[in-house]
Amino acid sequence: MNVLKVPKLAIGVFILPALILYICIVFIPILVSFYTGMLDWNGIGETKFVGFENFRNLLFHDPVFWPAVRRTLLYAVASMVEIPFCLIMAVLLNRYVRKANTLVSIYFTPVILSVVIVGQLWKTIYNPTSMGGMLNEVLTSVGLQSWTHTWLSEPKIAIYCIYFVSLWQYFGYHLLIQFTGVQNIPNEIYEAAKIDGADGFQADRYITFPMIVPIFKISIVLAFIGSLQSFDLIMVMTAGGPAHATDVISTHMYNSSFLSMKYGYGSAIATFLVALCLVFTIFINAVMNKVEKRFG
Amino acid sequence: MDTKSKKALTIAVAGALTLSLAACGSNNSNNSGDASASPSASAGGSQPASSTPSADSGKKVKLTFQNIYVDPNTPTYKTAHQIVEQYQKEHPNITIEFDSLNTDQQKQKLKTQAASKEIPDITMVNPAAQMKPFVDANLFVPLNDVLDKNGLRDTYQSGLLDYYSFNGNTYALPDGNNIEVVYYNKDLFQQAGISAPPATFDELLADVKALKAKGITPMAVGEKDTWTGSFIFMNILLRTNGGPGFLKDVVDGKKTFEDPAFIEAVERFQDLIQAGAFEEGATAVDADSGRNLFTTGKAAMYMLGTWETGSIDASPIGGKVAAFQFPTVDGKGDINQFMLAPGTGYAIAANSEHIQEAKDFLNYYCLNFPKVQFEQKNAVGLPQKVDGDLKAAGYSDLAISVMDLFGKVSGGDISFDNTMNPAVSQAHLTSLQNLFVQKVDAAQVAKEHQTAFEANK
Repeated sequence: MNVLKVPKLAIGVFILPALILYICIVFIPILVSFYTGMLDWNGIGETKFVGFENFRNLLFHDPVFWPAVRRTLLYAVASMVEIPFCLIMAVLLNRYVRKANTLVSIYFTPVILSVVIVGQLWKTIYNPTSMGGMLNEVLTSVGLQSWTHTWLSEPKIAIYCIYFVSLWQYFGYHLLIQFTGVQNIPNEIYEAAKIDGADGFQADRYITFPMIVPIFKISIVLAFIGSLQSFDLIMVMTAGGPAHATDVISTHMYNSSFLSMKYGYGSAIATFLVALCLVFTIFINAVMNKVEKRFG
Repeated sequence: MDTKSKKALTIAVAGALTLSLAACGSNNSNNSGDASASPSASAGGSQPASSTPSADSGKKVKLTFQNIYVDPNTPTYKTAHQIVEQYQKEHPNITIEFDSLNTDQQKQKLKTQAASKEIPDITMVNPAAQMKPFVDANLFVPLNDVLDKNGLRDTYQSGLLDYYSFNGNTYALPDGNNIEVVYYNKDLFQQAGISAPPATFDELLADVKALKAKGITPMAVGEKDTWTGSFIFMNILLRTNGGPGFLKDVVDGKKTFEDPAFIEAVERFQDLIQAGAFEEGATAVDADSGRNLFTTGKAAMYMLGTWETGSIDASPIGGKVAAFQFPTVDGKGDINQFMLAPGTGYAIAANSEHIQEAKDFLNYYCLNFPKVQFEQKNAVGLPQKVDGDLKAAGYSDLAISVMDLFGKVSGGDISFDNTMNPAVSQAHLTSLQNLFVQKVDAAQVAKEHQTAFEANK
């Protein structure tokens, strides 16, 4: 095991470049925004130190905040639930479709579209009947008139409409990751399994799923963190409206900082978001490690 | 090469990488330091540092002009570009770069730029309460000398500059002076059998129902941009309060939002919404799309500031549009009192490296602004006095009738977000947007306002 014996100094030197970058552009700003979160500040004028008052107001007196947290987490859960479907789809594509690459590339196209374009596109699809919204037209034409809605303007359903667009957009992204993962499993293993009598679903259960867990984990973490920070799509489609019904943590942070000009308060929300990301990333890693151990 | 020297080499390389990274950082800061220092250094080399270089010194200067004129089809866009081109021709050493964004985006960008003291040389701000934080933070330079040069001050309509003045200094020069009216499509009114514009709020509600019965959207609004709905609401409040000054009374502690006048205004506004006055899904429609509903003949009414006159005139329905004054509500109010919109003002950033050049340009720009606007058929709602016969210049009947309304103005209020601080305004705007999607007890709305006001005094 002498090969692995590297002097501590070497390790330190190799880590240093990345570490300095990381500290400068990630760690210090987090600390700064934590400090800003303790200020009463409109973003451009004089500052006043108020201690933890912003945090107290945020956690106990803000009627918008907890619903926004709930929506964010629901969003995260929805995008994580999508991943198993991507995996199944990837397995099916790999098994039954010849030249599946083309299909996967087609599924991938929404990902390369700008969020603004996707948002505008779906806004038009969701338009109310009187403005010729496509979804409502389709529903009407198949006789489901009672199902039509003013999708983005009804507080109870608007947020789900946005979730759907996001899931639609990133389906191809996760499909691509899973598909590549499935393709990278060596064919010999399947052949050996075939000789032993394991085929079809059995092969998936005992070969594909265990071997793809690391890739699966990447997708889950990406989906989770991506949805916690979701911002642009909501800004384009509803800007958090109607009346906060589609506000998530990041849009609430933005609106507080720049529209209400409560920069300190916005920073407090940002700090909360960082803490939330951290806690859940650790949690997901722990869960995934367990899964990996079980299958590996 | 033996392993030891290999190891040493790799460590050395990694170390070099680290160092170069650090060097990179310091290099960068050196560079930016030089860049910011160089203009003053070069100026200081040839002349005393305190003297201000004149615009014609021949030095190449680039000014950034942040503005809210995004649509090339609108007259004001053409005006701004025409004046800037002309100025560049006369002053070849000056380049003016446009940074054009729509109103809401510009507001937000300016706030982010202000946080890092990187405001463009010339930018635009809204009057009164909205520009106060900027003035308090000394981000703009006073423009008194610009106003005094070439008699610019006297061109402005009396009292207008007060909205942009603090402690005796004027910090921005307005691009307009507008009132809120209701534009309506005469053809669509006729189709619904409405012979005359409404004189009372109840008549307005009846007209809404008549239009609705014919399948016409009664009124267009772009409530995704929440200020549009608020501007309509404020007109109702102006009536139920029996005159202007409600918000000022609240600020001064003489009234609260739970005052009957405010509650009644909320109720009447809800009546309008519940009668189906606005297009379906209004909260997802932005201001520009809202205007499009009207200018494409899909909606019968459109209630906004008179700055819209030019674009409505230029639209396909131009000839069919007239305007009326917002009616009285339950017999209260005076129809000659209007919601006033004293424009958006041009300001110069205190962090600009070319303050003098920017001032010279702004003086030129503002002197020419009314003339060019007049030629562009956009003389309605000008901040400055302009000579010229509208009829002879070929202005539309709509423009002339709107201009006549200006003569009737006997007082009014400015918008909510120009009166209250941003946090209270935001609470107000969201609270009103909520009315578009569900029925809420008016007393509850009033209470929300009062709570937000007290929490953000």
